[in-house]
Amino acid sequence: MKRILVVEDEAHLAKGLRFNLEAEGYAVEIAETGERALELLKKPDAFDAVVLDIMLPAKDGFAVASEVRAAGNYVPILMLTARGRPEDVLKGFEAGTDDYLPKPFELSILIARIGGLLRRKEWSSTANGAKPDAAQVFTFDGKVFDFQQLQLRTGGETHQLTLMEAELLRYLIQNRGRPVPRKDILADVWNLHADTDTRAIDSFIVRLRRYIEREPTEPRHLITVRGVGYRFEPEPKD
Amino acid sequence: MRITSRAKAIAFFITLGAIVLGLAIALNVTWIVLHVRQIGTLVLGIIFFAVIIAGVVVTTVFLVREIRRNEQQDSFLNAVTHELKTPVASIRMYLETLERRPLDDTQRREFYRIMLEDTDRLVGTIEQVLKAGEVRHGTDRRDWQQVDFGKLVTDAVELARLRHHLGAGALRMSGPHNGDITVRGNPEELRTAVANLIDNAVKYSQPERDITVELATPDIDNVVMSVHDRGIGIPPTELKRIFKRFYRVPGKWRQVKGTGLGLFIVRSIARRHGGDVSAASEGEGHGSTFSIRLPRVYRV
Repeated sequence: MKRILVVEDEAHLAKGLRFNLEAEGYAVEIAETGERALELLKKPDAFDAVVLDIMLPAKDGFAVASEVRAAGNYVPILMLTARGRPEDVLKGFEAGTDDYLPKPFELSILIARIGGLLRRKEWSSTANGAKPDAAQVFTFDGKVFDFQQLQLRTGGETHQLTLMEAELLRYLIQNRGRPVPRKDILADVWNLHADTDTRAIDSFIVRLRRYIEREPTEPRHLITVRGVGYRFEPEPKD
Repeated sequence: MRITSRAKAIAFFITLGAIVLGLAIALNVTWIVLHVRQIGTLVLGIIFFAVIIAGVVVTTVFLVREIRRNEQQDSFLNAVTHELKTPVASIRMYLETLERRPLDDTQRREFYRIMLEDTDRLVGTIEQVLKAGEVRHGTDRRDWQQVDFGKLVTDAVELARLRHHLGAGALRMSGPHNGDITVRGNPEELRTAVANLIDNAVKYSQPERDITVELATPDIDNVVMSVHDRGIGIPPTELKRIFKRFYRVPGKWRQVKGTGLGLFIVRSIARRHGGDVSAASEGEGHGSTFSIRLPRVYRV
């Protein structure tokens, strides 16, 4: 049974979320504060996904996400935000969350999103990736991206990627050599449509560049295509 | 995080203002030294420089005030968005649950109760926002009437007991309320002021409630209603600020949800009725006492 941690201080919302997620067959635990959530997330494999409210009383959702990632826990995180402003989404993604849903949300969409995160996690952790062209590892320019472990090995270093960092890299690898529009990335990787600020992707690109590029400010693999989006070059010519 | 970056932005502008001001003063002094013998130019120059300095001071003060105001409005918008969207999100989720899942009678009744509570919360927030707009303009004093303040407070206490499911022990009332305390004003506004203070005491003293509402007549001209709770208390530095519009005490006090309008409404109402409101607390964790003073009138 998949375990989901719901971090929500509003008792009514927490109760309703628990009821519905349990009805979907998940085991649910509630944390009313960010501090409690961090305590529960100390064990890396304690949960399969986290539903994280942003406006928490003391330690907010952004801080919780950053601390969870800093502690080396890469559990998929879906953030819920009441404000739904583009800068909140950006901030959430920068903090290391994988997906977001503005409040008030549609129950079926929430359940579908959680299902999506869990499925992706499953794809990444099964030896033979269920996605058609998802090879287990991809080697480029002396670097190895392991789809299964969500790891990027460069030289002697190993970087652990979050689920959505890995998904984005996988998508760019699938489309290697051609420019991919930001809107397509949002739609295909995150299932987010028109109304989302496309800058949301940029923070993920910045993080990926830090892992992949020798000089993140002068990228050779993850190239910005002005006015369009990004292009992934596995073996740059220069 | 955002507050820190804002504070940095304000600090930058204040520093910039101070540097420009310092430069202007230095230039002024140099001007005086250089033109000390040419009286006409000297006087003209001093006047111009004085105008420039005054301009810089006024602009800096204005800028800082605007930044503070923006900050407060921003935090108010956040609070109101949260206060509006959270109950709507909850109601929607329970409606969808009722629609798509088989539920037994007890569960259904429980979900209806939750939705009703969320509706109350929503109505409460909407009313606070509307009232805050109203109190700034004020109501027509010609509609004022003599109000039996003792009865008004007793009714408010009973209503609060009912709304917050409190026993007589958790919310007590003391002092004279036998119909001989009369004030003049708008009964609806006075009810709002009294209810806001009682609701605050309930909100900020969870989970153990021990609230006393006391009516007193310290002199023949005034009546004072005090609401005393044994809740989380208020730091001494915050006792005055809490009555400002949109202001909310930072830190753990924000765990209690609110818009930052309640006490502002109370103070506006009290002052318009010729009275005032004050807060006292021995500090964090020691509870607090809010007192609203109103001028008494005597029936003729």
